[in-house]
Amino acid sequence: MPGADVVVVGAGLSGLTAALAAADSGARVQVLARGNAGTHWGSGGIDIAAPSGAATPRAGLEALAAVPGHPYAALSGEVEPALNWIRGILAAEGLTFEGTLDSPLQPAPTSIGGTRPVAILPTAQAAGARPWVSGERLIVCGVAGFKDFWPDAIAASLSRPGVWGGGSRPDGVVAVSVELPGLAARHNLSAVELARRFDDKAWRADAIERIATAVEGAAAGHAPGQGPGRVALPAILGLNDHPAIFDELRRRLPLEPFELPLVPPSVPGMRLYFALRAALIRRGGRVRIGEMIDHVECDGARVTAVATAAAARTSTVRTGALILATGGIAGGGIVADDAGHLEEVVLGLPVEAPPVEAWLSADAFDPEGHPLESAGIRTDADLRPVDRSGKPIYSNARVVGSLLAGGRLRDRCRDGVAVASGRRAAR
Amino acid sequence: MTIAELVREAALEQVGYSADECLKCNVCNTVCPVARVTDLFPGPKYVGPQAARFRMGHTLPAQAKGLPRLASPDRTVDWCSGCGCCTAACPAGVKVAEMNSQSRARMKAGKLPKLRDWGLGQTDLVGTVGVLFRPIANWALANRPIRRLLHITFGIHHSAPFPKFSRGTYQSAWKRRQKRLQKQFGITAEPGPGAAVVYFHGCSVNYYEPEVAEAMIAVLARNGYEVIVPPQVCCGLPLISNGIYGEARAHAHKNLEILAGYARRGYKILGTSSSCIHTIKAEYREMLDIHDDEATVVANATWDICEFLLDLHDQGKLDTGFGPLPQDLPYHAPCQLRSHGIGLPAMDLFALVPGLRARDIDHDCCGIAGTYGMKKEKYGIAMAVGAPLFEKVRASGATEAACDSETCRWQIQGATGVRTRHPVEILLAAYRAADAADAAEAARR
Repeated sequence: MPGADVVVVGAGLSGLTAALAAADSGARVQVLARGNAGTHWGSGGIDIAAPSGAATPRAGLEALAAVPGHPYAALSGEVEPALNWIRGILAAEGLTFEGTLDSPLQPAPTSIGGTRPVAILPTAQAAGARPWVSGERLIVCGVAGFKDFWPDAIAASLSRPGVWGGGSRPDGVVAVSVELPGLAARHNLSAVELARRFDDKAWRADAIERIATAVEGAAAGHAPGQGPGRVALPAILGLNDHPAIFDELRRRLPLEPFELPLVPPSVPGMRLYFALRAALIRRGGRVRIGEMIDHVECDGARVTAVATAAAARTSTVRTGALILATGGIAGGGIVADDAGHLEEVVLGLPVEAPPVEAWLSADAFDPEGHPLESAGIRTDADLRPVDRSGKPIYSNARVVGSLLAGGRLRDRCRDGVAVASGRRAAR
Repeated sequence: MTIAELVREAALEQVGYSADECLKCNVCNTVCPVARVTDLFPGPKYVGPQAARFRMGHTLPAQAKGLPRLASPDRTVDWCSGCGCCTAACPAGVKVAEMNSQSRARMKAGKLPKLRDWGLGQTDLVGTVGVLFRPIANWALANRPIRRLLHITFGIHHSAPFPKFSRGTYQSAWKRRQKRLQKQFGITAEPGPGAAVVYFHGCSVNYYEPEVAEAMIAVLARNGYEVIVPPQVCCGLPLISNGIYGEARAHAHKNLEILAGYARRGYKILGTSSSCIHTIKAEYREMLDIHDDEATVVANATWDICEFLLDLHDQGKLDTGFGPLPQDLPYHAPCQLRSHGIGLPAMDLFALVPGLRARDIDHDCCGIAGTYGMKKEKYGIAMAVGAPLFEKVRASGATEAACDSETCRWQIQGATGVRTRHPVEILLAAYRAADAADAAEAARR
């Protein structure tokens, strides 16, 4: 039975953040995860807070901290230091971000032709969230044969002023499509396959040239270099060599490029995962993917070991502490049955949730979302799960990320909750 | 029983039904080592859970049979190497790799297998003949023109790594050893389950790498365990990988019959091949659908050698008197080991050896995937899959590497020229280093 000081269950943003914070304090850390999900499904950004009406993430954070039961009620002071700390770690792994808590929340275009309010973005996405000045055009550049990004549809949708929510917007959106080399034989072209091709220096030299030619054609009429306008590309600009690729593209194009995150599998999300994982392994941590928790062993109110399902038996890791970062209903940390019972899957913790009749809004696309989103585990200020009377159930177990009760998707606070709670739990 | 209940029940025990859990999130496609290097394979999602709905007639439980049986809609499933990275990465618990193996078997069912694929599954036949005609066989396998001929006629790639046949099988060496011991000491009774373990050596030890068995026996002796080597046949994994399930089942039943006798008496069954051991632990039931009492009792008694040693250590019973091995040791965890779900026990054991700088290379797959990389059309894919691993092993400057599965060792050693050993051989070297230090100390006094 191998031993660890801290076992983290879950390998999304909150789990890896918690593991990194624990490893930074000198602990032996093991991450056990059922699979990859949170990072690979997300945009690769770090959304802190964007409730309606907030002008900056800081304003959003303050508004959410005042909501009773919201994770930020206890964590708001932790967000900025945690954000700065994780950005430092990511930058050391080559993944940089732009924007701060005080940057304006701007409508940035999405790959389905809508917009989302963002302020802090990976460098390669950042130009999408800068305010538009008069005369600036947006060129949406797609890849022929790539089914997860439709430049004509995106451009048509982004041409409608209403999409930009009254904020600044480009003066005209046009679409171009580029034939990239050697893709004809591929029937199921995915973002990951394209990103891997960009990692190849010779291939991308050709590809970038073709993109530049197409963009120059579409941008004709503007003097090159002075470029009023920007180019939106699908987020496919490399996995391993991404910073160099983005730099090469930026230097070659007459207009400033930015990536639009796509449907899963998310290349920016994978970059985030790889950077976090590499940083953790560099600090002596271990990551085991493909592990289902079978049971947790306790001595009274102390968790002593975590057992995973293994071939023919279970495999046990003895541990000094347990951090649950299994995600909420979407991540699989909570499961629901038809009768309206919600179950936390690792420790069987009590789940705080609205009554079953009130789980869902009548309108599936209600902008307010669904009340069920707030389902999760209630904790004390130290993130220890508590029972109905508010008493901690385990002395050395913590809950982080989307498994915490009280967050809603509409608040766009998941990443901020993840890094703030992850870092706090490991302290 | 409602359809929903039927489906749920089936999902619990049937690989095909885990497709029901698939969210189409594509995570499996991002981790597939084969799709990473070739356009021939569209990725595990497409040939696995996505295509599975067209094959459901094959996986329904007995009560619901009679639904149309549809052929696999995507024959590219044959490019799957079976490494299992997809199953590990799936956040929803879909058994993607297992599904692919079963679809391949169904695709091939009722047809005569390719002579080459059948031959690669006949590890006992090839091994027996090779050991019998050892000098000629070894000469032939190292002879370029003959390998070219094999390449053209049988489709076994001329550069695929092949080990050398050993002098006699391990089974016969073991029988001779037992006879000698009987003569010397007159012992005839087998030691009891408290004092001995049963060894499933697999084909690699039987025909190519007896030194791995010797290392394991010496390491176990150091820890107070004797070893029993019962007669056995190939675990059947090479047949499963080549879609020849019927014959694989016959192998499984033979082994289960022998091993169950020991398991029921309380013996632990140990193996040095993480792939054979995973087959016995999991695939007899999961892939070959053998769900009898024998399969369960044997699976529960079966352990990987490093898993067993680490368990001894956890109980405070492992002799940790390892001597210093001041060397770099790049370590590759084979895909089959990952499927055990036991972490990296070899790395935990290496940490007990003073001076040993073992480093997990942290690469998904070496490419060989059993017999996959030996095939002429797949050799290039296998080498491309393993390329980053080979580069790291070479760059380490180490003179030895370590890996728990035999074909992976052959692949790494073939590609890099770095001697690649089973972890238990490293542990034996560490025990011997302690002996040498003790002897030097005694001589000084």
